[in-house]
Amino acid sequence: MGVTSMLARWASKSVHVLIVGVPGWDESRMLLEAELDRRGWRVALSPADADLLAVCGLPGEVLGAASDLLWNQLPGPRTRVSVTTPVALSALLDAAVAHLVDDSWQREDARARSRPVAAEDPRPNTGEHESMSHEDMDHGDMDHGGMDMPTPGGIPLAGGGDDRDGLEMDVLNVSLGPVLPHWPAGLVVDCVLQGDVIVSAGARLLEAASAPKEVSEKAVTDVTRGRRRIIRLCDDASNLLALAGWQTAAQNARRLRDDARRGADSTDHAAALDRLRRRAERSVLLRWSLKGISLGEIGLGAGTNTGTATPDDQAAVDIRHRLIGWLREAAVLAGTSSGRQSPAAGDSDPVREAQDALEALPELLRGTDLGTARLLIAGLGLDTAALAQTHERTHD
Amino acid sequence: MTEPIVQVSPAWAVLAPLALLLFALAGAGLNGALVARSVGRPFRSGASAPLAQVARLLRQRRQVTVAADVLLWRIGAGGLVVVAILKILVIPLGPWTLADLDVGVVWFNTMDVMIWALFWLIGWGANSAHALVGGYRFLSLAVSYELPLMFALITPAVAARSLRVGDVVAAQQNLWFVIWMPVAFVIFCGSVIAFSSWGPYATAVGRDIAGGFLTDVSGVDRLLILTGRYAVLTAGAAFAVPLFLGGGGGPLLPDWLWTLGKTALVLATFVAIRHRVPTIRPDRFAEVAWIIVLPAALLQVLVVAIIVVGS
Repeated sequence: MGVTSMLARWASKSVHVLIVGVPGWDESRMLLEAELDRRGWRVALSPADADLLAVCGLPGEVLGAASDLLWNQLPGPRTRVSVTTPVALSALLDAAVAHLVDDSWQREDARARSRPVAAEDPRPNTGEHESMSHEDMDHGDMDHGGMDMPTPGGIPLAGGGDDRDGLEMDVLNVSLGPVLPHWPAGLVVDCVLQGDVIVSAGARLLEAASAPKEVSEKAVTDVTRGRRRIIRLCDDASNLLALAGWQTAAQNARRLRDDARRGADSTDHAAALDRLRRRAERSVLLRWSLKGISLGEIGLGAGTNTGTATPDDQAAVDIRHRLIGWLREAAVLAGTSSGRQSPAAGDSDPVREAQDALEALPELLRGTDLGTARLLIAGLGLDTAALAQTHERTHD
Repeated sequence: MTEPIVQVSPAWAVLAPLALLLFALAGAGLNGALVARSVGRPFRSGASAPLAQVARLLRQRRQVTVAADVLLWRIGAGGLVVVAILKILVIPLGPWTLADLDVGVVWFNTMDVMIWALFWLIGWGANSAHALVGGYRFLSLAVSYELPLMFALITPAVAARSLRVGDVVAAQQNLWFVIWMPVAFVIFCGSVIAFSSWGPYATAVGRDIAGGFLTDVSGVDRLLILTGRYAVLTAGAAFAVPLFLGGGGGPLLPDWLWTLGKTALVLATFVAIRHRVPTIRPDRFAEVAWIIVLPAALLQVLVVAIIVVGS
């Protein structure tokens, strides 16, 4: 008994948390992430690595179903929380730990669970599992169509198709999202894969049940607007850096984001942002790794619809330059003591920009490999909160 | 002051895995401490993180995916630690070695080729897209690092005119190989980091593919794989010592302590590198590996061979 409880106590020192982001609820997610850092907890990359499922916001029906599915994929001991308000977050997580170390409850839960992952699950949107099988299938002349195809575990076998080199290769339908690390909240990209190359893709957004209660519009001054922009830029930069595999720099960007949220001293903050930008600019490996990954036309964004692409615009569509641009803009915003938003950024319409980006996504991803696709999506800095607003508008 | 290397009784073999795991734990502790620093938490809390992780994974139930190839999956997960232990058998600890094979250098190389299969099996076994992509990413990386690694391993053997690790150490009595074959040393270190799927070469477990071949492993399986990764990293660091860093040679301290100290230093460097640099995409790396690194490795062997024949 002593050993199990000791094990449980040690195990609870570092809880791994799978975060389900809901469009429009980024604030809740950031709040949770900051608290996880404070506690030394880790963000899980997949449900198999998670002890705690944290839904940040109020998900709509489909997203809710997806998070239920993920809940089934948590190996256990497991527990889940819903983070919607900053109030009592710490107490909520403490309660989650108490739940995790409660052996009798966990045993009960384990017993109550049927088979680990039910084969008949529709599993449409998890991004973790997909309808595919590598069961050796004889593509020889024996199997002409019409015969009943074997479906191991209830999953139909992958069909064939010509790949970009004209060779036959298995075709696989995989949905990326809505829950992946460093992924825009609520986004689902339905991909057709050959190997790790995306043959075609479609993008959609899973909605929130409702938007978080906004502070009244009057309270949103220029200062808070500028700060919000900094927070967003840092968050986007952090995600891109993490996907480029530069964890320390990503962590650095995330800390700067959290500093901005706490309202840190702006001159220090601007200097720190500038240091991070220079570090990113100097890194030869980063330059080499991100070389040639470009957003093309879409990167020009709604703000610059002049029709003629200047060299500056060309630079703006390159992922690496975009990253550096984000950090520069954040530093400039933090540097102007009032935190006032620069007029150029004020002009653009985030809703339209996000919509354009979402529409352009399938074309952008065609022919790229998964790694590049992830970097491109992160490079878009897709504002799913803005997209969620348009959905609400059309629904009203 | 290096004494001739003697083979000790196989009974000592019990201690070898223990030492390996302790080093692996220390490496994980250092990694935890560096992670803690990056999120602004105290160093010490991070250093104990691996223990918490072990407890967590021992307590976790193991999740199996639909239509998983469980047998191959488990072989992959369990095999890493075994390979790491087999690797260190030929590494002399000061004057003692467990297996004084006359093809010790080749033995090490054989073991690291086994890693190809193991990582790929882990990716294959889960029957999921991200895991399989991870497994193949490792293979594409392996195609790039393996040949340069082979030539980097051969270089000290050419200089010592023997494939026996003991002879390689003896040949460094006057001058460590790292000094006159730096290129081979750097390539060797890079390859060790690569075959451990670590740091800049960790794309097979990348965040962009939700953890790659680790995506669907949980519980004890995950513990074995994570331990195995640290163990092969440690074994690689330990092998750099007899190959390039003069084995147990050094002033004042006994030989075995020098071996351990040098190993710790190399391991710490490997662990720290992870926190300095972004990852290298395997497709980009292939170009550089074949066009620059491989010729550089060959050139290094050539230079060493000419010097050895000439002297």
